[in-house]
Amino acid sequence: MTRLAHTRAWPGIALAASILGVCFVLSLALGPASLSLDQIWHSVTTGPVSGDLSNAIFWEIRLPRVLLAFLVGAELAVAGVILQDLFLNPLTDPYVTGVSSGAALGATIGIVLHLANLPWMAVLALIGGLATLGIVWISARRRGRIDIFVLLLAGVTIAYLASAVVTVLMIRANEDMYAIVYWLMGSFSGRGWSEVEIALFAMPFMIVPLVFATEMDILLQGEKRALELGVEVERTKRALLITAGVLTAIAVSVSGIIGFVGLVVPHIVRLLVGPGHRSLVPVSLLVGAAMMGIADLLSRTVISPNEIPVGVVTTFVGAPLFVYLLRRGSKR
Amino acid sequence: MSLVTLRDVDFSYDERPVLRGISFELADGEFVGIVGPNGSGKSTLIDLIDGLLRPDTGEILVNGVATRSYRRRDMAKQVALVPQHFDLDFELAVREVVQMGSYCRGKDAADCGDTALTLSRLGIAELESRPFTELSGGEKQLVVLAQALMQRAKLLLLDEPASALDVSHQLRLFDLLRQLNGEGLTVLCILHDLNLALHYFDKLLVLSEGKVAAFGPPDEVLRPEILEAVYGVRAYLHRHAGRTYLTFSPRLRGERRGRVHLVCGGGTGAGLMRELVDAGYEVSAGVLNALDTDEETGRELGLQMAVEAPFSPLGDEAHAENLALMSAAELVIITAVPVSHGNARNIVAAREVLASGIPVWADEGVLASDFSGATAGLADAGVRFFPGTAALLEAVHARVERTPAAVRD
Repeated sequence: MTRLAHTRAWPGIALAASILGVCFVLSLALGPASLSLDQIWHSVTTGPVSGDLSNAIFWEIRLPRVLLAFLVGAELAVAGVILQDLFLNPLTDPYVTGVSSGAALGATIGIVLHLANLPWMAVLALIGGLATLGIVWISARRRGRIDIFVLLLAGVTIAYLASAVVTVLMIRANEDMYAIVYWLMGSFSGRGWSEVEIALFAMPFMIVPLVFATEMDILLQGEKRALELGVEVERTKRALLITAGVLTAIAVSVSGIIGFVGLVVPHIVRLLVGPGHRSLVPVSLLVGAAMMGIADLLSRTVISPNEIPVGVVTTFVGAPLFVYLLRRGSKR
Repeated sequence: MSLVTLRDVDFSYDERPVLRGISFELADGEFVGIVGPNGSGKSTLIDLIDGLLRPDTGEILVNGVATRSYRRRDMAKQVALVPQHFDLDFELAVREVVQMGSYCRGKDAADCGDTALTLSRLGIAELESRPFTELSGGEKQLVVLAQALMQRAKLLLLDEPASALDVSHQLRLFDLLRQLNGEGLTVLCILHDLNLALHYFDKLLVLSEGKVAAFGPPDEVLRPEILEAVYGVRAYLHRHAGRTYLTFSPRLRGERRGRVHLVCGGGTGAGLMRELVDAGYEVSAGVLNALDTDEETGRELGLQMAVEAPFSPLGDEAHAENLALMSAAELVIITAVPVSHGNARNIVAAREVLASGIPVWADEGVLASDFSGATAGLADAGVRFFPGTAALLEAVHARVERTPAAVRD
């Protein structure tokens, strides 16, 4: 007896992976200074060398930036899948847990203290995000169980609180206001290998929802039914919520708050491959990466040499696509 | 060894007690129904057995092991539950939903039930590829049952599985459960339809206000007096074509009222009997011939009656019994019964108690259907006549309202 989800997963994954591959090449080639495929191939084969401009652009600027965009997109999309399905609420995005606001607070403190030297800001943002996750977690615990709705409320409340503190800090430190606002909007501009290293810490966490794919399928029927069918619901929830929190914290810490990817990608992928997590998680991961890659590509090319904040681009790209797919889905 | 054992189980949600002192055992292979009013703790009881809830005091053993020490996956191998409410907002195919049931069996293929086989067993093989969200309520119910069967557990708990099903699907479902039971599955099923409970189950557990009101074979447990105590309604047992059926008074049990004796027969008293019983009167009747329609109705209602052998004129013994019943009543009513020499003594008896001060009321119709002359001069003797059953009934109720002390005991 093969599971349906198994048989259906591979074509979707293969397609998403090839789309991501095309995105990868395009993102590496295009930018304020475009690289030809020859130049890219040359840079890849020779490795980083000094004195060659296109080689330096490739290794020092383009490649880390593209990788970072892919990683952040993948992290947000996977976190979005986890949270939407745990909350059984399609409007959930990775930022409802309050983790992003905590991270923003951490980054703001970094900027105000003039620790703007990276990766200190990223580290502070990560600490802020994880601390928020801890606070939300403790508030939602009742007799050893995590109440998912209390968690949602606590997350939203703490998000407001952290935002209020950020606002106060912004007013107090008016000369840094621009830096704070720019950070909050989210960008991959000026990010390098140290951010990529931080983002790479998320890799093992992206495996977690794949391990729990069957449990997540069953949890779509609600926590009680999952218990009846033999799922250790609390353990599963704990693992998944921590995973989503850590993924969000890492993503926000290296890129700021980039909206829409975590909300929209799981929806788009669900419409395309269905709600089974064996397909949904890996395809969302790949599509999230690709979407963020394209968004970053647009952000740095459309009004080059200036940049549009990538969060603005994700919204511009994601919103019409989402509406189109929703309408198509409802006609079926 | 019993499959499930409950010993003195108490359970409360926060401070509100739901179950108190529940003790019973379920043996391997039993087919047991749980009935009881809404809020009597039925669903809570099956959640406790499945280990989803923990008892406050007492213990619950499944297969000899306390439910609290089970891991969920091991429990799911022992106990499958079909919930009352089930929905899914995501577009999963029926096959995928059913497949989830085998989660507790792990990835070992030999250990897993077969999805297609389980679905065809339930007569819904054609649903396999359909999205679950597009199914009707009854189909969803069957898919959830299929999901539960995939657990291949020893015990199947069902929470009102028939509530979303039409009558033919209900019967199919219970036939199927019986069949599964025949293959060794132990079934514990909550249901509201007492006639289904009466026909299908080996044993019934009656819950009332969180306690076991009765536990045993259906015909011992579903007795009118127990049902009246548990549900507060009047229930009647009828035999029809060799089967027993329960019917219920359309009205809630009235408060206890006085005693009324009916002189009736041939179906002229059946309606009145039922109305008076429903209204709370203690009703007696006689003399009636056995197998007479009124006699049968009276028997179903559990009335005290003076009865004579079928198709026989009434004899001295029955007459004396009837007189005793009449004398104990506060009111005697003569329906529009045909009077012949066979039953004329009933009119004589009525005259007798009228003379001793017990009021006698009669339907005018009796005068027209008197073939013996026994009713001549009844009006002069003080019998009040009414133009039909409805008028009689109205007068009885009015009488109670006017002179409560005289009629109530």
